[in-house]
Amino acid sequence: MKLFVSEGNPHCVKVLVVLELTGVKCDVQLVNHEDKVVPFLNRPVLPVLLLPSGQHLFSPNAICQYLFEVGGKEASNSSSQFLEWEATELQPVLIQALHMVALQGKTHDAGLVLKGSLSWLEQCLSKRRTQFLTAETVTVADIVLWAAFYPILADPGFSADLGELQLVRDWFERVGLIPACVRASQKVLQGKGLESLKNFLKKQPTPHTQRKDSQPSTN
Amino acid sequence: MALKELSSLEKCLGLKKPNKYSTQGEKKVPVLQNNQGSALVGLVTIASHLVCEAQRTELLGDSAEQRAVVQQWLEYRVTRLDGCSKDEVKVILKELNQYLEDKVYMAGNCFTLADALMYYGIHHIVMELAVEEKERYLNVTRWFDHIQHYPGVRHHLPPVVVLRNRVYPSSQH
Repeated sequence: MKLFVSEGNPHCVKVLVVLELTGVKCDVQLVNHEDKVVPFLNRPVLPVLLLPSGQHLFSPNAICQYLFEVGGKEASNSSSQFLEWEATELQPVLIQALHMVALQGKTHDAGLVLKGSLSWLEQCLSKRRTQFLTAETVTVADIVLWAAFYPILADPGFSADLGELQLVRDWFERVGLIPACVRASQKVLQGKGLESLKNFLKKQPTPHTQRKDSQPSTN
Repeated sequence: MALKELSSLEKCLGLKKPNKYSTQGEKKVPVLQNNQGSALVGLVTIASHLVCEAQRTELLGDSAEQRAVVQQWLEYRVTRLDGCSKDEVKVILKELNQYLEDKVYMAGNCFTLADALMYYGIHHIVMELAVEEKERYLNVTRWFDHIQHYPGVRHHLPPVVVLRNRVYPSSQH
């Protein structure tokens, strides 16, 4: 098995954390953002996991779930729901917010764009009775959400906007203390935070700024 | 849209009692209120739950690898295919066409939930394709025709006519 990652790509943080946490044996190869690893995809996508069967996995969340399963932990309904939310609701606004902060310096606007998603997460956290999102131990949902939010929440300029969201802040810190998270974020973002994302962001399709995402309620 | 699809999926899975769904947000994300009091949100999450309820977990994949490939295409369906622009449609058809070149199903050698949801999601696109385009995306068309004839899948959707003989000379071969 072989995992292809690139520097400055926040999705690669997810898979590297999970790889270390699960201890699954796998070669890791560092490639460029422009390298086309998956032959059938139109534009370069990373991270990619080349499976023993020769198939390519190009969805970071599917890679994380797979590694967790191979590492002996099965996914639950509730974690799959968080993963679906992350991919369909959070990613579109997150990429927009990252553009604003890293390329345009509009920290305040980015806060507004992310407000709905952050309060949704705060609500989820207020309803759970466990240390982590879905269990007493860290699951794939925690890692995927933590790594998605990491570049922006760990940015010193942005942290002020977290304001009232105490539960999100506590949860984010709790997950961030896990050594695998520290090492993976260091490896991908090289301690340069949002600065290191610039090249990755420039290669992404321009986010639709006109689109307004209404946030779901948690009922 | 998603709700009709879920009800077709229930029939396809042989679930006798239909569930009641609601939607939330602008994108009309489906919600299933279950008897434990907590709600399941999202098409992929609910569809996977229905598969488990019908005790047809082989449709989610019968190995860790196949399960991952199924998950990936389910995610592709809701993140890339749903709500995509006209330009994006061509990219998606091209990608799928290349992916399906040496495959009968989306994941592995048998029918899975990925085939069902991809079929439901792409139906309106394939229906609009001109004969020439159907030939350009030959592998997608072949897969599509196979799935629409797969027992119990089609339900709420009209069949799409697929010509089995080429009308236009191909430049690809």
